Amino acid sequence: MNLEFQNKQRAHLFPVFLILVLLIHAFSTALAGPEVSSPSNHVGHGKQSILMAVDANANSKWCGHHEGQSVQWQLELPVAIAAKGYSLTSANDVPSRDPDHWVLEGSSEGKNWTKLDSRKNQPEWEKRHHTRHFAISSPAAWKYFRFTFQFDDPTHYQLSEIAFDGVSMKGAKIAVSPSLSDLRNEGKRLSKYLDPEALTVPDGPPTANLAAFQHDIKPLLEASCVKCHGPDKQKGKFRIDTLDPDMVNGEDGAWWVEVTDTISQGEMPPPDEEDVELADVDRAKVVDWISQELLVASQARRSEQGHTSFRRLTRYETSYALQDLLGLPYDFARDLPPETESEDGFQNSSEMLQMTSAQFETYREIAHTALTKATVRGEQPEPVRYVITGESAEANFQKSRLSSIEKLRKKTDADSQAKLAEQEKAAWTYDANAAHFVNLETGRGFPSRSGYGRNSFRPVEELPETPEVSNYVLALPGNTQQLMDFGDFLPGSGTLRLRVRAWQSSTDSPSNPDLRIHFGYQPSNNSKTSFRVGEWTITSTSDSPEFYEMDIHLGEISRNAFRGKYPLGKRPNPSEYLIFQNPSSSGIHIDYIEVTAPHYDQWPPESHQRVFAAGVDPESNPRKILSDFMRRAWRRPATEAELDKKLALFNAIRPSCDDAQQAMLEVLATVISSPNFLYIVQSPEPENFDLATRLAMFLWSSVPDEELLKLAEAGRLSDPDTLAEQVDRMLADERSERFSHHFVRQWLGLALLDYQEVEPNLREAMGQEPIELFAEMLRHDSNILDFLHSDYTMLNEKLAKHYGIKEVFGSEFRRVDLQPESRRGGILTQAGLLAMNADGEHSHPLKRGIWLLENILHDPPPPPPPAVPEIDLADPRILEMTLKERMADHRNDPACASCHEKIDPWGIAFENYDALGQWRSEDSVGVLFNGDTLQGMDGLKRYLLELRQDQFASAMTHKLTAYALGRPMSFGDRTSLEQITATTRREGDGLKTLIRNIILSELFNS
Amino acid sequence: MSTQLSSLDRRKFLRGVSGFALALPCFETFAKSAAAATTPKRLACFYQPDGVPMPRVDDPAFQEFSWFPHHPGRDFQLTNSLRPLEPLRDKMTVVGGMSHPAVRRVHGHSNADQFLTGADTGASGDYENSISLDQYYANAVGDETRVSSLVLSTDGGTGSPRGAQTLSFNQAGRPIPAENRPKRIFDRLFVSSGKDAERRLAISQSALDDLMGDANSLRKKLSGHDQDTLDEYLQSVRDTEIRVEKARRWLDIPMPRVDVSHLNLDVTPDDPRNYVQTMYELIYLAFRTDSTRVATWQIGRENGVGASDYLARAIGYNLTHQLSHNTKKPDGWEQFSNYCNFLMEEYGRFLQRLQDTPEPAGNGTMLDNTVTLFGSASSAFHLSRNYPIVLTGGSNLGFKHGQYLKFGTDEDNSSSSGFSTDAGWRSDVEEEERPLSDLYLTMLHRLGVDAESFGGSETTVAEV
Repeated sequence: MNLEFQNKQRAHLFPVFLILVLLIHAFSTALAGPEVSSPSNHVGHGKQSILMAVDANANSKWCGHHEGQSVQWQLELPVAIAAKGYSLTSANDVPSRDPDHWVLEGSSEGKNWTKLDSRKNQPEWEKRHHTRHFAISSPAAWKYFRFTFQFDDPTHYQLSEIAFDGVSMKGAKIAVSPSLSDLRNEGKRLSKYLDPEALTVPDGPPTANLAAFQHDIKPLLEASCVKCHGPDKQKGKFRIDTLDPDMVNGEDGAWWVEVTDTISQGEMPPPDEEDVELADVDRAKVVDWISQELLVASQARRSEQGHTSFRRLTRYETSYALQDLLGLPYDFARDLPPETESEDGFQNSSEMLQMTSAQFETYREIAHTALTKATVRGEQPEPVRYVITGESAEANFQKSRLSSIEKLRKKTDADSQAKLAEQEKAAWTYDANAAHFVNLETGRGFPSRSGYGRNSFRPVEELPETPEVSNYVLALPGNTQQLMDFGDFLPGSGTLRLRVRAWQSSTDSPSNPDLRIHFGYQPSNNSKTSFRVGEWTITSTSDSPEFYEMDIHLGEISRNAFRGKYPLGKRPNPSEYLIFQNPSSSGIHIDYIEVTAPHYDQWPPESHQRVFAAGVDPESNPRKILSDFMRRAWRRPATEAELDKKLALFNAIRPSCDDAQQAMLEVLATVISSPNFLYIVQSPEPENFDLATRLAMFLWSSVPDEELLKLAEAGRLSDPDTLAEQVDRMLADERSERFSHHFVRQWLGLALLDYQEVEPNLREAMGQEPIELFAEMLRHDSNILDFLHSDYTMLNEKLAKHYGIKEVFGSEFRRVDLQPESRRGGILTQAGLLAMNADGEHSHPLKRGIWLLENILHDPPPPPPPAVPEIDLADPRILEMTLKERMADHRNDPACASCHEKIDPWGIAFENYDALGQWRSEDSVGVLFNGDTLQGMDGLKRYLLELRQDQFASAMTHKLTAYALGRPMSFGDRTSLEQITATTRREGDGLKTLIRNIILSELFNS
Repeated sequence: MSTQLSSLDRRKFLRGVSGFALALPCFETFAKSAAAATTPKRLACFYQPDGVPMPRVDDPAFQEFSWFPHHPGRDFQLTNSLRPLEPLRDKMTVVGGMSHPAVRRVHGHSNADQFLTGADTGASGDYENSISLDQYYANAVGDETRVSSLVLSTDGGTGSPRGAQTLSFNQAGRPIPAENRPKRIFDRLFVSSGKDAERRLAISQSALDDLMGDANSLRKKLSGHDQDTLDEYLQSVRDTEIRVEKARRWLDIPMPRVDVSHLNLDVTPDDPRNYVQTMYELIYLAFRTDSTRVATWQIGRENGVGASDYLARAIGYNLTHQLSHNTKKPDGWEQFSNYCNFLMEEYGRFLQRLQDTPEPAGNGTMLDNTVTLFGSASSAFHLSRNYPIVLTGGSNLGFKHGQYLKFGTDEDNSSSSGFSTDAGWRSDVEEEERPLSDLYLTMLHRLGVDAESFGGSETTVAEV
């Protein structure tokens, strides 16, 4: 790390606007030769550059994109001048691009600003090239003037001239606020990780550089820190003068990490206390010395750490591992208790994964259940089959009406004739906006009927040949549903295969409707349940209707306990039904529904053959079955001794079992209740089996597949090129969706959202957005800074509506380019994360601040002290305050101040988003502890993109590595983590790049 | 930094408590104390469906047929509905103004499911429940007895979501099927459990031996820290071995012999009074022989529709559920109250039997060491608020009785009285009530279970 860099960093400890000024020397007349040091939207180019606003030529203009943010324009004069007023001149075209709101401020040093004039909702300029003059009510001499403009035009802004009464632009400097993408580039340029010299640990035995400490560093700390953190005072219960400067041999490394973070972020020494001021060059010296010492010390201590990755599989890993072993998509682990989360929020952290006897017994039950479900006996069972067409629906639903009509038909009296007409009309009249059955050709149809326990469909003997498309359909207009009762004939377990032929009812529908399937039953009128079992997006149209297929696992869902106990038609009612729901706005037609249960693709099914391979008899060759299964379950070949032991168990229990299959299942149950299955063992085997397991657990949350096992067997997996190839292959496999799901939920703490009172479909979409964004970024190896701000996100119709974004239809998530006016982009503005850190009704700046610090920046604030004074809402003084004022009041309480001044400003910057994450007008200006100002979300993003890129990148590395290794990171990991971050930053900050670098790192391979 | 470290320490400490290092001594202590305290502590819970008579204060039926007693406090005055318990008034507490908060606006007929759990079981759609009071206690004492708990209902099985036919739900919130046939209950308690159980336990023992072997050979490959982690697994295997061993030991201990010549074990709800008496007698016998210490009996499922609906025939009415709908008809309140009187007559007989039997191990009567809860998840018509609750027994566990305890803000029950339409349960909740789980947590503590919370409650009721 070099001094120059540190100087730059120090220079940035001022409000964002000043940090990235792009200085342009402007002259009131001559325009020759101004140089633009880096491209910015707001600087503009050529004929529309910022200089055109001060060229005293109304025919030129300053024009650009404002990205939905306010635009700041700043003037620095050679000497202070008191202007009595100012004038703005409109440009040549598009009146909507004229400024609508602005604030003018003055400053003597460019730091503290005084408001001079403020205009809101200005009328449009009367004409083009029109100059309007505005007076400054209390003129005073200022060296700096600053406009903050806001524009109602969704994308552009423009002005022809800006002038101040009696002020010459000669020798003035003009600056504008840069765009977010400018800031991202600028912030990247400042990264300490780009320096190839950085993070090199000197050769030879690690030694502490204590001479430099005594000579250079100690005097600086004494001057700037010891006053408050020394023998006399210990603010924050911290004392610096007693820290051991020898980090290699001493115990205070973790404290020095805190010291360097605090100093380099400008939080200490306090910016407003001049007597302890630390000059930039000195600050750099201190930070450089500590950083280098930490690097050496952490490297030296790699081997001493207490945490290892030896751990039990998590609940979800157990479930996926059994799914992949047995080839069944069941949630095997649902009876296991939830995991305790680590301090980082991870469920797979070795230190938190316990085992109790209750859990152990559940594991044994799961093992038995899973193997029982995977295996079969005897002949393939005859399935129950249903076929529903327009005709069969009519016969079923219209039966009682039609028979009553038949009876009336036989009577001739006038009364009956009248009734007949009435009933015929009722039988064939339907509401076109409700679910109904209709012949599309004739228009004749009948209304939907349900009512539990009635109108049950009956099984058929044989499935017909696939019929031609029929005109007699079930019509499900938008937001309707139809219940189909199947009686009590469905088997107790096995797969129900549902096939439906459907198409969109309208040819010009803007969106693809969803067809959602629920399974349910209602034994009596107050006892009913139904739950979603799947859904399709119907993309086919009437020109080419398509079949949609779904499997429902009857043994895995809640079933009607009265099946087989009570007769159909009596109460409690034993029947079960499927609900065909169209939750979309456009309609669906269905002409054919087919149900087969149990459905098998083959017999014995795949899951059975994964346990008992065809042709291997458990009675005569139990060893073969055991060795195959153990290799896959234990992720390595079992030793001869291990095989002998399991065989001995098989032989011991064989006599008390009915047959060899039963005895073998008992033994296999011990294979998957064994610690060799349930724990991730890091054993120093000559092959790479442990590496294969680690990889599979990281990217698939499961056991390795055959390819990984084979590479491990061949000893080739640890080869870096092979590893990198495998990472690509594994991330392209659909099992990597588990990684996106579980990592993102744990990293961001998304479980909090599950408890918020939000409409369930919206809540589900909110919770899915960050996962979808992560997966999308993973697919494209996108820059991890997209998490802080991106010009795209992943949306479905529900969420797009919530954001006010049009033209997104259907429940599937897809990439949507964001316009600036949506005020979205990155995870900070995602509704789920905003709603999760709220209380359902009100936003919660404190929660949002803590979340940002803990989850995104990995800089967790200390927990609250034991006796926290509550905010007293009974106090009328407090009741009258705004939320922000209340927080400030609380912050002023000395007991609370030290923590809250480090949290609140971050949270206040989110205040433009309400409890559901929707945009609102609100005071959202937070002043950070180090004096920097965050102007709302825009300001927060600017700040992070420009000044906290390295912190965010290293936080990402930290979180992903902790998850990858399944253990907390410690001091000894610091150097390796820093190296992963540095490599990733140099290679372009890709998310997949980062993951690959973690997997290739020494940490992952040791 | 310092605070971060201390929070880590706190977690490490918590982990230590439930982990191996501290678990072993705990386990030993528990075993010893269980042996030393020879007096069993028992829990029995009973459920009456469809609510109770709740005429308004200004209704002439109020004085004699309202379910809740008159005058909260020690001078409470029982009405016809609870009068059979009068001889036990010093051993009982009637509780009013309690309910489970999550479902106060759900139809009462959907709420038997959560009576002993306090879970938010909702009104429709997907369904989740949580562990019931009795199973929480059974998890603590279940392996002290041959049968960990008796789960009974008149209708049998699990019923359906929001239409439970069992009061008991396991750790994962799944319903435990209830037994309804006296013969089966008797066989399970007093007739040999058969060869199959023995075979299963033998296989279990071999499998556990094998797993112990796996763990021990793995342990040799691990570092010291990792060995500690694996020791939790080893300890779990050992604990399970002990449980299996205990279960096997029961196979060798002869079944207790009881005289049931006075019972017709084939009785069904068609002979309602005999059925009810037989069920109570079986619970009594199970307790007296210390075959179990935990029992639940759902006397009827909600909303009629089942065998339990015929119990009212014991006193000459037809369908039980109908009584709750007919309260505005002539003599409606009286008939409903008479049915409650019948239930209390038989319940009182059971309690009296416990009271009249000296505790086999000494230490008072059986009732002194047994806490019983009787109640419903509705008071007035379909209204899931102000649950009618009677708590009895357990004076040796520290229960104080002889009172009508009224919680909440509705002093005269006017907000839960007089309905005969669904406007009642649909109405906004305007009165405050105390969470019933506060009482459940209190019961667990008195039974010696060190629970931090139950059913969302973390506070206990000092008054009982």
